[in-house]
Amino acid sequence: MNHVIIGNGIAGIQAAETIRYLDPTAFITLFAAESHPPYCRPMISLMLEGRISSDRLAIRNPHFYDDLQIRSIAGAYVTSIDVDAHAVTIDDHEPIFFDRLLIATGADPRTMKIPGHALNNIFPMRTVSHVENMLTDISTARHALVLGGGLVGFKAAYGLMRRNIPVTMLIRSEYPLSMQVDDIAGGMILDRLKANGLTVRTGIDALAFEGDSRVREAHLSDGSVLACDRVIVGKGVQPAVGFIPKDRIPVDLGVLVNTNMETGIPGIYAAGDVAECIDRVRQCPWINAIWPEAAMQGRVAGMNMAGRTVSYPGSLGRNVIRIFDLDVMTAGLINPEPDDGYQIYSRIEPRLPVYRKFVLKDNRLLGFILINRIETGGRLVSLIQRQFPLSASEMGILKTL
Amino acid sequence: MKQVVVHPEKCVGCMQCMTACATAHSVSLSLFSATQEKPLPKPRIHIGASLYGRGFPNRCRHCDPAPCLLACLPGAIYRKPATATVLINPDLCINCASCAMACPFGVIRYHEDNWAPPGKTVAIKCDNCISRQAVGLVPACVEMCKSGALTFEPVAEAQNRKTREITQTIWPEPVTVATGKFDGFELLQAIKKSQHNLATAC
Repeated sequence: MNHVIIGNGIAGIQAAETIRYLDPTAFITLFAAESHPPYCRPMISLMLEGRISSDRLAIRNPHFYDDLQIRSIAGAYVTSIDVDAHAVTIDDHEPIFFDRLLIATGADPRTMKIPGHALNNIFPMRTVSHVENMLTDISTARHALVLGGGLVGFKAAYGLMRRNIPVTMLIRSEYPLSMQVDDIAGGMILDRLKANGLTVRTGIDALAFEGDSRVREAHLSDGSVLACDRVIVGKGVQPAVGFIPKDRIPVDLGVLVNTNMETGIPGIYAAGDVAECIDRVRQCPWINAIWPEAAMQGRVAGMNMAGRTVSYPGSLGRNVIRIFDLDVMTAGLINPEPDDGYQIYSRIEPRLPVYRKFVLKDNRLLGFILINRIETGGRLVSLIQRQFPLSASEMGILKTL
Repeated sequence: MKQVVVHPEKCVGCMQCMTACATAHSVSLSLFSATQEKPLPKPRIHIGASLYGRGFPNRCRHCDPAPCLLACLPGAIYRKPATATVLINPDLCINCASCAMACPFGVIRYHEDNWAPPGKTVAIKCDNCISRQAVGLVPACVEMCKSGALTFEPVAEAQNRKTREITQTIWPEPVTVATGKFDGFELLQAIKKSQHNLATAC
């Protein structure tokens, strides 16, 4: 069997390992757009923070591809897929044929198409190269601007603050991490960031950047001008689906897959941030672009590609973040539509501080937010994943957590 | 291979296993001096209140495959097959709490520990007392448990014993059958019961 995997992120790597485990004789080709050996993407923010060096990012040994007899093609971007001929091509090179194909190209950061967006010192934060670029002459940084209050913007701001660089963060919503937390938790996070020196301006965006070769100032939507010598753009990511023939392979925001991680075309699979599968709590197609789900999807795709039929019950969005001395864990549905039959329990102890919010429907847990005392939060994640109806006494335990 | 088996129905919630565990993971290995150590040794087994307020000894199950091991970002969590133990390398741990989100049993804690670099908060969980096992001792929690809620034995053996115990509750005594029609059946039961008594006696 001839397997081709596009992408050497965690989904691609897990799939390759799984295929090799189940089929020692399979022929595996892996296209890697990033020429770095497989590394742990969530940890690049620790590199920005200065807590670890780049050599700590590796998740496999340097001989990984040789050990597993995987032909890896580094620095290569697949440009097209020929669905009928079962082949992929890179530019004008000879096509490479496959029996099973895995699309695990991940996602690319959204760029800002505003005047001056191509100036130097304006960075996205997605790959280890991005962080390496940010870190060159980081000691000269005087003021950084972070656009977006999502996970990336937040981690960038936190990392720079840890380096004692003054940071201004612009967010469109009223509080950071608005996709992950509700207004109460968001307010607590915001207070903690402000108390540690972050300048946050809400309901505002950048309209243009100016500078000679490097960015020098940003013009904001309220008419003000902000001096800055570093800009980090955290405006979210979009699935890397540019090369996919959308008339043949169904693509929504990401590549649509069934519970076997197979696309609309038999033999072609997708996994990781590029794949759109069912969300466990929303019960509709959704992309939860998080590391553990990418890893799981890669494994499931690999098993199915190697001929062992395994189904994936859908993805669950979840995150855990430590912000100074505040620990935050969230999962599933946390801001449901009002009056839709949801049961919501929340509890706040502002002095500790501790905050809990549980979202249930028909006595089944659909989501939660925990601020501080998060050690046993995994039990709640498990409850969401199992969708087990809770008895009255079990609900009582929830309320005392 | 012997492993710690939990029998929650026997737990009385005395929490002596927690003290024994913390002591076994101290520098001095003595309860009295352990209380003076910095950082203060903490238990890796946790007695929680289950439904109806009953005690439940909650410790790492050393799952295979282990969700924490798969979720660990820096690759600090690994398995030692010889003792079927999942361990955490404190040097590599970055205290990101990804394992807390992955563990369905909530048995991982985050604090300083005398086997981690000084001043560093790391993920800590049960290590099956492998240093005690290496010198022929049973895990400290098992040694301390007075009520039989924690035993150290091959899992298959514990399962067989449990099956026998359950069978006994369903059919405690051989049935005396009046007619001679079912003699063979009665004989079979008598043999099984004597076999069981022999097995439990040894």
